[in-house]
Amino acid sequence: MSITAETAKAHAHDPAVLCCRAEAGITIEPANLEDPAIFDDLVDSGLLNLDGCLTIEEVLGAKLTKTCDSLAPLTADVLDGAKAPSTPAVEEAPAEEAPTVAAAPVAAAPAAGGILKIHIGEGKDIDLQIPVGALGGGAAAVEVPAAAAPAAGAAVPEAEAEEKVVRSLTRKHFNITEVKRGPETKIEGTVLTIREGIEADVIADQELVKDFHLEIITPDKYHTYSETIMDVQPIATKEGDSEIGEGVTRVLDGVVMMLTGVDEGGVQIGEFGSSEGYLDENIMWGRPGCPDKGEIFIKGNIVVQEKTNMERRGPMAAHTAFDIITQEIREVMKKLDDSLVVETQELKQVRRPHKKKVVIVKEIMGQGAMHDNFILPVEPVGVLGARANVDLGNVPVCVSPLEVLDGCIHALTCIGPASKEMSRHYWREPLVLEALHDEEVDLCGVVFVGSPQINAEKFYVSRRVGHTVEMMDADGAFVTTEGFGNNHIDFASHIEQIGMRGIPVVGMSYCAVQGALVVGNKYMQYMVDNNKSESGIENEVLGCNTLCPEDAVRALAMLKTAMAGEEVKAAEKKWNPNVKSTNVELIEGAYGKKVELVENEQSLPMSQKRKEKYD
Amino acid sequence: MNNERLKYGGRVIYMEGVVVEVDDCSISVDLKGRLGFFKAPKRMFICDTEPKVGQEFGWNMSFPEQLGAEVNDKYVSNIEKERRKQEEMRKRLDNKED
Repeated sequence: MSITAETAKAHAHDPAVLCCRAEAGITIEPANLEDPAIFDDLVDSGLLNLDGCLTIEEVLGAKLTKTCDSLAPLTADVLDGAKAPSTPAVEEAPAEEAPTVAAAPVAAAPAAGGILKIHIGEGKDIDLQIPVGALGGGAAAVEVPAAAAPAAGAAVPEAEAEEKVVRSLTRKHFNITEVKRGPETKIEGTVLTIREGIEADVIADQELVKDFHLEIITPDKYHTYSETIMDVQPIATKEGDSEIGEGVTRVLDGVVMMLTGVDEGGVQIGEFGSSEGYLDENIMWGRPGCPDKGEIFIKGNIVVQEKTNMERRGPMAAHTAFDIITQEIREVMKKLDDSLVVETQELKQVRRPHKKKVVIVKEIMGQGAMHDNFILPVEPVGVLGARANVDLGNVPVCVSPLEVLDGCIHALTCIGPASKEMSRHYWREPLVLEALHDEEVDLCGVVFVGSPQINAEKFYVSRRVGHTVEMMDADGAFVTTEGFGNNHIDFASHIEQIGMRGIPVVGMSYCAVQGALVVGNKYMQYMVDNNKSESGIENEVLGCNTLCPEDAVRALAMLKTAMAGEEVKAAEKKWNPNVKSTNVELIEGAYGKKVELVENEQSLPMSQKRKEKYD
Repeated sequence: MNNERLKYGGRVIYMEGVVVEVDDCSISVDLKGRLGFFKAPKRMFICDTEPKVGQEFGWNMSFPEQLGAEVNDKYVSNIEKERRKQEEMRKRLDNKED
């Protein structure tokens, strides 16, 4: 297919290939050329060889001296009057980026309000012009090496004074070192006792729940066989009358709730998850949504009525019944004496009116059954008072960043284990934390939007997302999603709806090899891949490919780059893990701080299954 | 795109199938031409309207290729555990119904 003059300009430095047969003697115009976007596939399949091929800007206006067939690369020997190549684009000189980053802070200070010009010599003659007022002060954290890293922001002293604390949330931590069974549920010192016979209450609570077993997994029992893990939850409760997202929350450290389940026929709830096996080989310790090494798991295995494992009511009943135990612990926690508090943490929701306003859009699963989430329960990660996002029609729900960190999402999600965001993930959501603490941006809120099954509904909700973000007057947005599959359709649509309103959007998802995006659009220029697995796959290790602090840092730096109007290089055609490491290095260089990278499945005891199957 | 472990990964074929079951989280499809059956999570299906029994789906697929002769004992043990558990639970369920 021929290209337009505009496309030819955009691809001036890309190879020139004829789109159809052309006779000798014609003058090459954009209409004679093929769209370079398709070349990668053709080269891969051996249909096209670009050796010696001239660029589009070189061939335009030149005369063809020989009749050529379609898809013939234009080389110097078939053309008369080809132009000399012009200055290579800035992005072709990645080697020069480092000095740019280093030099910028020095140059930026006196130039406030004017134009910062950076000249890079090295025979390539590159000029960068960056409006100083627009500098957000991040590195170019791009999925591909940065085009040009913006300088660290020119300080605007008067703006910093106006930081406003909208509300705050206090987390009081209580330490638990032992969990045992006893005649009543209580906490004495650091010992949590769970009432014997509580199983009967769990079973009686829901008609669909037919059986229940409680297990206490201490670190010495990590090498225990377990069914597929449905959820990992913090044990937390609100103090007094305070509501989710404000006031005081009490939380137990050193212990988490873990839910597994099957139906009466022994079939797993969440048929498709397969993190069953030995716990220590299947959990990526320390991920935001996972247990940390050393924690005790209060693990419940629920048996639901036969064949309801694949119906919506099955997993819902399992989660609701399991909350009976958590709620009983919560009641005990409410009465705990403050002298047992080991740490008090204050989380503040800060608005920075003179900084770039950003919003986080988190897409959550909403296709039905365990592809669902309870939103805004009364207690952190509770059930009572919450609404399922499927029942809400998956429309966007706006919450404060502190509500997210206070457990406003009770995740029923049972998608691929490596990329699912469990309830605990939201409790420690890295992007929310990073954006909230970043003094260069003004995080205005978090929008949760479900991912429905049907395309028409997907576009219905994504248009709502577009309008929601538009009326926030946001300068930039993040769109994140868990898992992969048809949710990538609305993920792309959310980005489009926000992008078409002129707002730069950074998209975050697990993609790599297996989660490669289903669709794309021109607004999907800024993407961060959450993959951590060595081979870029769904490796069946719980939480391995979920959003981690290192991804949040990259996404923030990338959004700042985009908001500053800097160019971000296009992604490579195939997944290349080096892109991430290059970007991390760029960020470390620009900020002068180390970005700690999390480990992946290679750090776990190698299970036979992984050894032979994947790596 | 082809995984280097596949010898014939490039052989992509257009396939069709008929939906035989839809539940809250999965869709089951019979492959046309008596070529088998598969069941996958809903999120892996792209639907313009509500998925229903009897609807036809199309997709590209290739031939599953053996990646090696070795049997992974871990998987065998998991499958065995699963089978035993299901058998036991099934027995218990049958006794309850009697």
